[in-house]
Amino acid sequence: MNERGFKVIAVLQNLGTEFFIDLTECTTFAEIQAELYKKMESIADPAYVSGLNIVIGKEKISRAELRKIEGIVLDHGFLLNSLTANGPPEQSGSPENDTLYPEQLSQYQETALICRNLRSGQKFYTEGNVVILGDINPGAEVVAGGNILVMGVLRGMVHAGAFGDETVIVAAYRLNPTQLRIANHITRPPEGEEIIVEGPELARIKAGKVIIEKLKI
Amino acid sequence: MKSRVLVITSGKGGVGKTTTTANLGTALAMMGKKVVLLDTDIGLRNLDVVMGLENRIVFDVVDVVNGNCRLKQALIRDKRFEKLSLLPAAQTKDKTAVSPHQMKNLTNELREDFDYILVDCPAGIEQGFRNAISGADNAIIVATPEVSSVRDADRIIGLLEAAGLNNSQLIINRLRAKMVKCGDMMNIEDIIDILSIDLLGVVPEDESIVVSTNRGEPAVMENYSRAGEAYRRISRRIMGEDIPLNSLEEENSIVNKFKKILRLAK
Repeated sequence: MNERGFKVIAVLQNLGTEFFIDLTECTTFAEIQAELYKKMESIADPAYVSGLNIVIGKEKISRAELRKIEGIVLDHGFLLNSLTANGPPEQSGSPENDTLYPEQLSQYQETALICRNLRSGQKFYTEGNVVILGDINPGAEVVAGGNILVMGVLRGMVHAGAFGDETVIVAAYRLNPTQLRIANHITRPPEGEEIIVEGPELARIKAGKVIIEKLKI
Repeated sequence: MKSRVLVITSGKGGVGKTTTTANLGTALAMMGKKVVLLDTDIGLRNLDVVMGLENRIVFDVVDVVNGNCRLKQALIRDKRFEKLSLLPAAQTKDKTAVSPHQMKNLTNELREDFDYILVDCPAGIEQGFRNAISGADNAIIVATPEVSSVRDADRIIGLLEAAGLNNSQLIINRLRAKMVKCGDMMNIEDIIDILSIDLLGVVPEDESIVVSTNRGEPAVMENYSRAGEAYRRISRRIMGEDIPLNSLEEENSIVNKFKKILRLAK
């Protein structure tokens, strides 16, 4: 196989208390929002709660609505662990198939285009995808809610799927990052062995692990 | 001729900013240009020491911007080249004693009398750095072939671009040709690859620099110094001459050896 593995540094798991909020009663999104606010305010000491698990009754929820819920949760100083609908789950986790089909890629409304090199100390953040026409140098950071595409050398740190989307990819003309993060997986290149990268590569999560493979189009 | 303000900077300390400033300034003055060296490392001044002019300081840059003296009074004329002057930094104050705005006015005032204003920037990215770059037309980045130095240089180039200084040029300092050949040191291509700016020149590691720095005599005055030779070539490039880069200074040293033999034969 033309895959190379990255060392896993951490798969972030929330320690401490998890909190469940049941919103199955609510039928409209407005109701969900209002109820969520109430429940949040009622949590006495946010410091003891690390993550929230929310259960809703609505079968479908749009990405924008999901963002809103995330926003509310983050505003109150919590992390959204899971959002479960009492129906078929809308988002399946990582693709089970071995091959990656373009249709499986997450769709994001916004895509930012950067037409320069990102140098040490420079940081770029977007909620959608990002395409960089240039290099990402060591010490630079790119954090995106969606996919990251680098049409140059990736030497710095990138975090794709920063809101927890595990179906996103990181593709680079030369993939040689100091650290690569996808959703809640943090990886780094294996130490000691120097890998000479010769072609464009792609990183994604397959079966719960970050893998690097040759970019075939 | 329009005068140019060049800031010599690096981010990381100890890579040779001050030595580079002293040597380039001296070399430009040797070729007949009116040059002033401006030390902005307030509180840790040493350009005067490297130039051997320490004992002539009466007023400094802080005195000038505060109006304690006239600019002409603070300028120290070099003892060897009359076209070369130095404006020393203050030693008893710190970097906040001068603001970027004052520094810009100062460099503009210096433009009237000099062809080249070389600003020696302090290490770091704080106010001293902002002061130093505030009046500059171009920046010269000094980096040694070490990962840490290149990383800091990259950061500095980013900050310079954010400040509107886009055409920075690179001097690679203290290159050891032998170590590069063995693969023990970063080579020039690797560095250019990461920094993606124009290369102005390469200065080889040279023990004679230590001697000349301690003596307060820039290496460019020494004919046999390899580093001095490199600095002379760089200063001609700054003046717009088309001087090819000698790929690695190794060949150059063989030439030098021949020259020495020939000289001995005479």
